[in-house]
Amino acid sequence: MLYDIKLTMRFDYSGLAGGGRHAIRVLPQTLGVHQRMIAGHVDVDPVPRERSARTDFFGNPVTDCAFDAIPDDLVYTAQARVERFAPVHVAADSAILADMASELEAARTLLAPSPAHFLNASALVPPHAGVRDYAQKTTKAAHTIFDAAHALNAALHADMRYDAEATDVDTPLAEAFEARHGVCQDFSHIMIAGLRHLGIPAAYVSGYLRTIPPKGQPRLEGADAMHAWVSAWCGTKIGWVEFDPTNDLVVAADHIVVGYGRDYADVPPVRGVIRTAGGQTATQAVDVLPLDQDLP
Amino acid sequence: MSALSPRPSLPKRRSALLETYRAFPGTHDELVDEGGAVRPLWRGLVDELARMQPGEIEGRVARGDEYLRDAGVYLRQFGAGDAERVWPLSHLPVLIHEKDWSGLVAGLAQRAELLEAVAADLYGENRLVADGHLPAAIVAQSPEWLRPMVGVPPASGHRLHIVAFDVARSVDGSWWVLGDRTQAPSGAGFALENRVATARIFAELYARTNVHRLAGFFRDFRSSLQSLAPGGEGRAAILTPGPHSDTYYEHAYIARYLGLSLLEGEDLTVRDGKLMVRTVSGPQPVGVLWRRLDASYADPLELDDRSRLGTPGLVSALRQGSLAMVNALGVGVLETRALLAFMPRLSEILHGEPLALPNVATWWCGDAVARAAVEGRTNLHRSSALSTSLPYEGDVPLPAHGFSIDASPETHPELFVAQEIVSLGSTPALDGERLVARPFSLRVFLARTADGWQALPGGYARIAAGEGGAASLALGGKVADVWVVADKPVEAISLLSGEHAANLKAQQGALPARAADNLFWLGRYVERAEDTMRLIRAYRVRAAEAGGEETPLLVHFGELLEDFGIDLAQRIPEALSTTIGSAVFSASKVRDRFSVDGWAALKDLAATTRNMSEKGEVSDANGRTMGVLLRKITGFSGLAHENMYRFTGWRFMRIGRSIERAIATASMLGFMIADDAPEGALDIALEIGDSVLTHRRRFSLEASIESVVALLALDPMNPRSILFQVSEINDQVQLLPDGGLAGRAGDLARATLRLHTVLATAQAQDVDAPFLERVHGELEIVSDLVAAAYLG
Repeated sequence: MLYDIKLTMRFDYSGLAGGGRHAIRVLPQTLGVHQRMIAGHVDVDPVPRERSARTDFFGNPVTDCAFDAIPDDLVYTAQARVERFAPVHVAADSAILADMASELEAARTLLAPSPAHFLNASALVPPHAGVRDYAQKTTKAAHTIFDAAHALNAALHADMRYDAEATDVDTPLAEAFEARHGVCQDFSHIMIAGLRHLGIPAAYVSGYLRTIPPKGQPRLEGADAMHAWVSAWCGTKIGWVEFDPTNDLVVAADHIVVGYGRDYADVPPVRGVIRTAGGQTATQAVDVLPLDQDLP
Repeated sequence: MSALSPRPSLPKRRSALLETYRAFPGTHDELVDEGGAVRPLWRGLVDELARMQPGEIEGRVARGDEYLRDAGVYLRQFGAGDAERVWPLSHLPVLIHEKDWSGLVAGLAQRAELLEAVAADLYGENRLVADGHLPAAIVAQSPEWLRPMVGVPPASGHRLHIVAFDVARSVDGSWWVLGDRTQAPSGAGFALENRVATARIFAELYARTNVHRLAGFFRDFRSSLQSLAPGGEGRAAILTPGPHSDTYYEHAYIARYLGLSLLEGEDLTVRDGKLMVRTVSGPQPVGVLWRRLDASYADPLELDDRSRLGTPGLVSALRQGSLAMVNALGVGVLETRALLAFMPRLSEILHGEPLALPNVATWWCGDAVARAAVEGRTNLHRSSALSTSLPYEGDVPLPAHGFSIDASPETHPELFVAQEIVSLGSTPALDGERLVARPFSLRVFLARTADGWQALPGGYARIAAGEGGAASLALGGKVADVWVVADKPVEAISLLSGEHAANLKAQQGALPARAADNLFWLGRYVERAEDTMRLIRAYRVRAAEAGGEETPLLVHFGELLEDFGIDLAQRIPEALSTTIGSAVFSASKVRDRFSVDGWAALKDLAATTRNMSEKGEVSDANGRTMGVLLRKITGFSGLAHENMYRFTGWRFMRIGRSIERAIATASMLGFMIADDAPEGALDIALEIGDSVLTHRRRFSLEASIESVVALLALDPMNPRSILFQVSEINDQVQLLPDGGLAGRAGDLARATLRLHTVLATAQAQDVDAPFLERVHGELEIVSDLVAAAYLG
């Protein structure tokens, strides 16, 4: 599937902003045979004093910007053309839960995709007794890691209410879980916590979702802004498998990956500090249009 | 006295001193050997003590403590209301023979090299994990393994430049390592202060004994620091978390001692990949940072984004190789407790040699073989594998490592280590006039210099409070000086103590803008406090004279005080204590630029104010309380304004004071010469302006508006007049960096000159309340211009 993606992020500082720095993670990446970035760039207005590109520890492309002063608004516009293929997973290749320890011991590396990074607490995903009990209960029947992740994915979708108004980026995981509501970020953090309680390495994925569904299918939740989902490590043979608990899906060609991290804090679209005397308001708009929609 | 009661002989007194001294069974003691005989190294000290007159040792100890108090040595304690705790010096030094010492240091240098190699691997190729020599889990789960630093080579070529080791004696007297300090080891500055105090207590013995001096280590470390700047560009500075850190005293002390700038994260900014310090002369490059801030706080952009102490972009400067970091960000991972289990093996693998000094026997419970080895053993302590605290520091609550709410060694063995419970060797401490044995550990500092690792010959001993167990400062233990004793005379480098010409070299580089800002506001707050005290005192004296009657004058005066936000119902009005608090806060941020006496005077003022306001109900009907406070605050001003060297920083303080005084005088005078001011208001103006006598001398008549205005607004010779203060501002502004009319701060120079001209050419009859209001407004503009030009 070929996509044209456009993201606009506008920060309104009401003319009260001084200088500062931002690290931007909004461009899709090339991921082996599953995803190919054909072209993409980020426009920044006003033009930053300094601008550079790098790749972070987890392999995500980052654009660094430094500003002297921002007269009024700060606008990032990202545009990209991406080719995306659905990964094919053979669920039967997943390791069984009981073999988790030996599977992990075999993964002797600290390179970015190593499951070792995704097992413990991270900034926004702390352990939580309620999530632990929930994960154990909903995965009781699962034999393989894949089955467990699949069951938790489905359970969260069934039990949690999607509500764009109920939470914001700073809502703690516990609060969203106890109220059983939230947006993709909350769904994903809760699922990651559940998986890690089961001893399954789990990563946070940020990216895009196609805006208009294929004919005859419902529009997916989370398509009007950047989306988030979960990657679970299912043993050395099958590796990482991505699940979208907001939509109860195993991720296929509708999802375009921007970044992998331990949680949202590793891959926010904008991270950084602008000195400002007032507050800021931020708005985001996303368009993900398939180019070859009508092709057979 | 001695003629009346002859003292016992020296041997008798010696045995009296040692009568109750008992080394702990099965441990090594510094003072006595297995047979209970005093070791040769210690005979001089024992004899020195034995020779002392009754009561003499107490006097000497008091002298040492007095030094520490006067020098302001303290330890900030968390959880105790942020109280500053008196420095707990155990007054006897620990003596170590130079031969014994050099063996220890050689072993520690080997260990430092090994740690450097481990860090290079963990932030480089990661062969140790890939080859199975280190479990991935330990590294990946450590909060100190900083992923953004992976693959970033250190600009200086090394990640470790200064390290410390806590060591103790084993049963047979050999040394072993309790823990490695690599993040930002503290204590070297305290070691200096311990030395000064201890050398005072035992002045004669110190002079007689061949004790290695400490100054050479610092001199060499400073020159290696300066040599690290990439391309020789940029100054070397110390990065501190600020006055709320528990070892801030030491940061300020070392900065003063070495002549390095003491910077906080907000002083710094990154431009074009280079770290710059914001100074009053514009941004200037920093080439070397000696970091006393924990790494995760250093850059909110790439490390902990909740940090308010860091500098956004710092990591990118490191990536560019334009900054040498001492020590590199991320080396805190080397303090991980579980790593102790692997050090002997890592030494073989990385350097092909066994460790010269063992560390506390440690087993990582994530390994099945290790688990089996410790199964059923009782002399073991199980604790967090990922903790970075030292074995005897007590177990801090396990942070959320792993992913468990109630991890236990049974359910999550990989989160735990088992460590042998060790008994520390002992050293003597004073208990009144007797000696007692106390367990101790030693902190030894090593710095990388041009000639390899060099140790601070001495250091910092921790002495346990009680007989057994742990030597923890937090648990009420003490610290002691360490004397490394040579057989032959040592190189006599004089140790310069804190205040006495402490700077081995003058402060380098321009004044950081934040320091200038704090000094400017210190000047303003201190003056504001003084003005407030004068107002309150004058009011209370009048009120007492009026005997409770609400005279029109008192009502008018009361309105002025109300304008200043002063609540007269309070003995110490809150407006005053708040202002004093702000002055102390500003001063605390620039302690490295401040005389010890000035700081002590300010703290004393704050303490007195607090005590007085806590006494609450006692009234200050006649203004005597204010009199006491006024004398204290003028004492501080005297120290600050007369004794401080005329650095740029002093000029900012001076400008702040002059602006504040001119504003206060203008507002007060405007109120007292207003059309509705009752009779007697002019006398009050003169009193508050401290100019009653001058007025009497210059104008042999009743106070008139003209005479009061001439004296308090327009007199160029009266330090209380507005014109005098504006001249002072004008003069100081000229002397600031880029200060003239044509300079960067041209707007400021023009504004002060304009104001000066208006006042210098005004005549007494021109000056009325609206005129003074305009002057007040102009002064506020000058204050804003100072901030805009220099303090941002």
